[in-house]
Amino acid sequence: MLPIATTVLISFKREQDVIRKPPVIFPCDTSTQSFAWGECRWSVEGYQRVIAPKPSSNWPFITLTGNMLRIYLPNTLLYATTSSLLVVVLAGMSGYAFSRYRFRGHSALMTGILAITGVPLLTNLLALYQMSVTLRKSSLPFYDDRLFIIVVYVGFFLPLSVWIAKGFFDAIPRELEEAALIDGCSPVGALFRITMPLAMPGLMAVFLLTFVNVWNEFIAGYLLISRNDLKPAMFGLYDFLGQNIINLQVIAAACILIALPMVILFLFARRSFLEAMVEGAVKG
Amino acid sequence: MQKTMPRRAGKGWLRRNYLPFWLILPTVIVLLVVQVYPAVYTVWLSLQERERSGWTFVGSYNFERLFGMGLFGESVGHTIVFLAGYASLTMVLGFIIALLLNRKLRLSGLYITLLFIPWIIADIIAGLVFRLLVVPDYGLLSGILQNPAIFPPDGLSVLTAVPPKPWFGDFPFPPAPAMTFLILASAWRALPFITLLLLAAMQTVPTEIIESSRIDGANGWQVIRHIMIPLMLPTLVVALFSLTLSGMNGVGMVFSLTGGGPGTSTEVLSYMLYTIGWRQLQFGRAAALALLIGVVNWLLIMGTLRVTRVEERSR
Repeated sequence: MLPIATTVLISFKREQDVIRKPPVIFPCDTSTQSFAWGECRWSVEGYQRVIAPKPSSNWPFITLTGNMLRIYLPNTLLYATTSSLLVVVLAGMSGYAFSRYRFRGHSALMTGILAITGVPLLTNLLALYQMSVTLRKSSLPFYDDRLFIIVVYVGFFLPLSVWIAKGFFDAIPRELEEAALIDGCSPVGALFRITMPLAMPGLMAVFLLTFVNVWNEFIAGYLLISRNDLKPAMFGLYDFLGQNIINLQVIAAACILIALPMVILFLFARRSFLEAMVEGAVKG
Repeated sequence: MQKTMPRRAGKGWLRRNYLPFWLILPTVIVLLVVQVYPAVYTVWLSLQERERSGWTFVGSYNFERLFGMGLFGESVGHTIVFLAGYASLTMVLGFIIALLLNRKLRLSGLYITLLFIPWIIADIIAGLVFRLLVVPDYGLLSGILQNPAIFPPDGLSVLTAVPPKPWFGDFPFPPAPAMTFLILASAWRALPFITLLLLAAMQTVPTEIIESSRIDGANGWQVIRHIMIPLMLPTLVVALFSLTLSGMNGVGMVFSLTGGGPGTSTEVLSYMLYTIGWRQLQFGRAAALALLIGVVNWLLIMGTLRVTRVEERSR
């Protein structure tokens, strides 16, 4: 908690205060006193540099031209939402199938998926990179780096999500579906009207888990995408670090800006998060 | 077509019911493409070396060169030091905090969120947060750290300090200050999750046992050692494995905090994978390393699963 507080603190300082040696915690001193309440020189300069608002003639009279906001954050948003939606759909279907049906290869597939859960992204990254290079060269008409990274994210978070989804589906008693069937509902209808609403918390948990992990993902986004304007926000932050290695307040502001959505998300969805985390204790 | 969902399924009844097949198919396809094929490809890559025209098969040459690299041994040493410090620090601190929290349970939502912030933010953001504290000359703590009065002989500049002389041969212990800080930052980040895990496990220990042992005269430390820990053992193992896994695979923090340096003193295995594969572009050797890391990971996961399965069966 303490480092977070200091980061927030730094993000509100002015440049001159940040570059001082030795560094001071509160920029509140004058030449005579070392701490004076009225003389505090806070500023939002750091945030300004990150967002870079400029006056414009349209409403609402400022446009935000910072690279971070314009390019990187929307990318991250796109990747995170798309991957999470796809993961929820696929994991939901598979979790349901694994939970409710026993078919040939059921346990074999289940074990297989479980085994894959353990493989970290790192191991396959190299091969995935080669694949992306080959795909890029072959110039398929609809291919895009973004498509690739989304598929990669989905594939990476799918095993754990299937596992979690299956757990949630297992917890829903079959009697409900059978009762609906007896009452004349079709199996698919039963699926949608009875099981899905009950599985909502579980699917929500899967969505959140994937969303947060994709948002926070740095390595894959960095290494698998070639064009700079398709990179996610985490890379933007890393880039920022290179440009602003001395301007700590800018880095601090950028950190806060990128981390804030996730914190807010967590604030509102605590329970889902904690449930999902406990299920996926292995991945951490 | 009548589709039924029986509870007891005979072997042949699903001949005409292909719904589960279609439901699972997309998942299987994606997993094959993203996980299975690259894994096989990595194995293939690790046995090849790139010539001018294409790839040529070189057998175990890549592995030999990998193990022969001085940097490899050093990196393994760094990884071991990092994992040992990170895992033990997090486990001990997490245990202590969980012990303290074992009494009262009411934590407001806001408080939990604040506590969990280190875990929610991305690894590179956490690395940057800590970096802001120790950047030489400008970091908030650098005023204290670089004070010659506290850290002889001339201050401790975390990110650029040279590692001390190793105690045992070439094994990089004691760690460079940068490594120490990396361990601290990683432990800070993992702490909430581990504390939660240990707390949950702690609360499954029946209080009657603890009370009866206290009546028999056991003091606090004995209670912990002989009763709580054995009863919490499966969770402890899971936590430990989870820490080891995340420690081995987590590169983001290295990127933002130390960049592998100073020199190579924080170059853990996963970071070395990046260096060999993307900076030096030696894909064969990088694939060999990736394979190695993957196998170790896989063993750890299987170990964890075995422990949790055994525990479930014995309940």
